[in-house]
Amino acid sequence: MVELAILIGLIAVGYFAGSAAERHHYRSIAEREEAFLHLPAITFKSSETLGDVAESRLVTGCAVISVDYFKRILAGLRALVGGRVKSYESLIDRARREAVLRMKEADPTADIIVNTRIETSSISKGPTNRESVGTIEALAYGTAIHLKKQGT
Amino acid sequence: MKYTPRRITENVNISKTSPLREFFTLLLGILAFLVGVYFLLGLAVNLIAPRISTGLEDRLASLFTAYYAAEEAESPVQAHLQALLDDLAAAADQHNRSYQVHVIVDPMVNAVALPGGHIVLYSGLLDQVRSENEVAMILGHELGHFANRDHLKGLGRGLVLVALSAAILGVDSKASQMLQSLLVTTEMRFSRKQELLADAWGLELLVRKYGHAGGATDFFRRVHEKERGKRFAYLFATHPYPEKRVRSLEMFIRERQIPVDETVPFSR
Repeated sequence: MVELAILIGLIAVGYFAGSAAERHHYRSIAEREEAFLHLPAITFKSSETLGDVAESRLVTGCAVISVDYFKRILAGLRALVGGRVKSYESLIDRARREAVLRMKEADPTADIIVNTRIETSSISKGPTNRESVGTIEALAYGTAIHLKKQGT
Repeated sequence: MKYTPRRITENVNISKTSPLREFFTLLLGILAFLVGVYFLLGLAVNLIAPRISTGLEDRLASLFTAYYAAEEAESPVQAHLQALLDDLAAAADQHNRSYQVHVIVDPMVNAVALPGGHIVLYSGLLDQVRSENEVAMILGHELGHFANRDHLKGLGRGLVLVALSAAILGVDSKASQMLQSLLVTTEMRFSRKQELLADAWGLELLVRKYGHAGGATDFFRRVHEKERGKRFAYLFATHPYPEKRVRSLEMFIRERQIPVDETVPFSR
């Protein structure tokens, strides 16, 4: 009975703290994406059509997001019957968008970031399922281009 | 080519469903499935239990009776109880096996019928009884469980539960642990119907031994007085409300016009 109460308590903490953190994070993501609208990150490989390049450099952005207890239980239940693991979708989404934002923040004065790539990996795997911390990492990287300014 | 920056207005990568609803749908669905399987296997156990031979029962029992033997407190009261139990078993014509009574020092007010003809009385229960007739009623009740083979059904269901959770859910995942603890808390060893049937059997033996029904309801009545106001404790209890048991016993005594006489005091 005590164990059950602890478990329910953990799930409740996971749900309320987890959704509060998620709401907060999405608000921050939306604001910063708005602020960085002027800096496009595209998947084109070449910069030939862009014009004369003054400077180019590698930029990376990396974000690590952890699962909360509620989401983990939900995914565990889902794993019994199969189907889309909806509870993890927002984690991956937040990690990718945060990584792209951090990549842009690495060179905020660039004109464009080309050849943008996003990699995802799950980190902190433990020896057993129980000892691991469900965490995903998203890494965004690309080439930041500074164009020669017209008339110089 | 012109680049037009656009903000993300609709996110197609995340599902717009309520996670809480998904959680409860999954949890209740899986629980319902497990309860269904458990119920079906329980029915199978009820079919098999009466057909288990006493030899097999003794072999099953030897797995855990050593534990009770070690816990047991040596006392003169046990010899008294054993004599009483032998009398009752003889009166019941339950000769197919021998019955042993064990007394365990524990404040719990409970008695258990275990495979192999073992009846365990907790000393907390003995502290509550005043007359020999009450003890006879309790022992008769446990003999009733043996007569109906409830003890094997209880053991079988316990096995089903453990096997189910180990086989389907695995031992490691948090989700399975939650399901397991939910099932265990709601699992009852014997149903209320089984308890009332065992009560009727106990009353029958009491009357056969003493010739009257005195002391049949005294113990349950006393427990009821003590437990008054603790209704919640009976939500998951293995025994029916003492109140209900007293009422059904009294009805039985009245219908069959069994005389009620003086009880024999029980000394420890």
